[in-house]
Amino acid sequence: MFGQLVIGGFATGCIYAVVGLGFTLVYRTLRMVNFAQGHVFMAGTFLGLVIAERMHLPALPLLLVVGAVAFGLGMVLERFVFRRLYHNHEVFIVGSIGLGIVLMNGVRVFFPEPVPFPKVFGSEVVQIGTARFQEAYLWVVAATLILVVLLHAMFTYTRTGRALRAVAADAEIAGAVGVNVKRAIGLTFGLSFAVAAIAGVLIGPLYFVSFDMGDMVGLKAFSAAVFGGINSIPGTILGGIVIGILENLAGGYISSAYKDLVAFVILLLMLIWRPTGLLGRETPVKV
Amino acid sequence: MGSALTRWLVAGSALLALLALPAVAPQYVVHISNFVLIYTLPVIGLGFLTGFTGRVSLAQGALFGTGAYTTALLTTKFGWAPIATLVPSVVVTVVLAVALGGAAVRLAGLYFVMATIGIQQIVWLVLMNWIELTNGPQGVRSIPSLGAWGYSFETPQQFYFLALGLALVSYVLAKRVIKSRLGLFLRALSDDQLAASSVAVEVGRAKVTALALSAAWAGAGGFLYAHYVRYIHPDMFGLEPSVLFLVMSMFGGYRSVEGMILATAVLESATEYLRPFGEFRMIAYGLVLLLGMMFFPKGILTLFRRRAATSAAGSSA
Repeated sequence: MFGQLVIGGFATGCIYAVVGLGFTLVYRTLRMVNFAQGHVFMAGTFLGLVIAERMHLPALPLLLVVGAVAFGLGMVLERFVFRRLYHNHEVFIVGSIGLGIVLMNGVRVFFPEPVPFPKVFGSEVVQIGTARFQEAYLWVVAATLILVVLLHAMFTYTRTGRALRAVAADAEIAGAVGVNVKRAIGLTFGLSFAVAAIAGVLIGPLYFVSFDMGDMVGLKAFSAAVFGGINSIPGTILGGIVIGILENLAGGYISSAYKDLVAFVILLLMLIWRPTGLLGRETPVKV
Repeated sequence: MGSALTRWLVAGSALLALLALPAVAPQYVVHISNFVLIYTLPVIGLGFLTGFTGRVSLAQGALFGTGAYTTALLTTKFGWAPIATLVPSVVVTVVLAVALGGAAVRLAGLYFVMATIGIQQIVWLVLMNWIELTNGPQGVRSIPSLGAWGYSFETPQQFYFLALGLALVSYVLAKRVIKSRLGLFLRALSDDQLAASSVAVEVGRAKVTALALSAAWAGAGGFLYAHYVRYIHPDMFGLEPSVLFLVMSMFGGYRSVEGMILATAVLESATEYLRPFGEFRMIAYGLVLLLGMMFFPKGILTLFRRRAATSAAGSSA
């Protein structure tokens, strides 16, 4: 039972980590929290669903196509929507919540009921030790790993990645030494949308998918990001996986009703004890 | 002299108009007005916190719900008289807010917002899952209507006067708090925390007091709400009302009690009048939030003020 719970929690934790990365990418660059993130994740699921059913794409191209579309959408929304919001964090919070409501209810018009997602990642049951789980869990874990490696490589070795890090460190100075700050911010939103949408496709085959699935996952991914350190990419990954495992264990051993509480209790305690999170470094203003 | 007189005249005629409203307006308008009056309480409460400490809370919906659940459970499960539960509703809400948020209120800016999201979710999940106490997703049914001295506030018209009375009391109280020594401390705090602490304002205590005040107003609002709608469900107190209350106090400009009341009236009526859009209602609501923030980030009221400021500047030039 323990192994089963840990593996299930690990896979869910990977999803929190990847969605949480979207929060982290935007936060590092702008010191803003994009509360539409969870609904972008949900929209990614439904985009994947529509593409998988209409075009019968296999798993890998499906992930790439959804990622690319979401990336473009993120860039476009940054240009026409977010750019008008990120001068003040309250304005950004309410605006992004508004956008999330639009996304959620937009999808609701087409899919008012929960629907099954095509089994694009196979439906075999895999056994490791005593734990048995669906093949799709492996996809979730592997895809998370690949995404993290790709992001790390991009931030470390490419010119664009270095530009993004420079803007995250200090946008004004980055601009002064010739980094195109607006483009960097656009790319940041593109990336954060892409990772969330890919996470949406990954989780799709494991459950029935519904228009309100982004609410809880988004807020838990946010808690995970804060727990690990909302300005630290490794922190967010760690936070996501730890919260995923802990809540699954709590659900299995303590009470399934209060499983969802774990993430938010951790969020509150972490903020009081260490607002920068486990691996974060920035000192928040605190008097 | 003249300005004081005009102010009294404006206040008096506004009060008269409010008193006459149920006699002239259709039932539906009275019904919406009741919600406006109820919501002014948590919104004014939020103003204490945000206007005076600069902390933005997304947990006001949960505190509002705490007040509503306290009175609902006391009256339906423990047989209390509805009117006797106002004080317990306020007390329970304040205690809960200080217990959960007392430590977090030290956090500034976005970090406090993050903490309040945690509080909001925790309260909602407990309401949803502590089935023995709260009935969980079943909600609490047949909450009695308020009544006193043989007079019951059951129909929208009857309830209107009660809500108006409580809203007026809370308005006057809010004004008094702002003018008091405590209000002075809080204003000093929001202008410059360091300077305030150097002139012997106890910063930590002032912040917790602001949090407690905002919770007290939310609890009283929840009390009214429960006895008006008479059926409550955890989903009524999720993140959605928290966002609504935040937007109402933002649009009202936080520090102006009148501004917040006006913003509450405008937004609540707007969401009501979106009803004909049916399933597109929530899309329209989301767009109102998004476009409102994109184009009027400092509130609807700044629109008038900006125009006034430019015309004043124009006349002086």
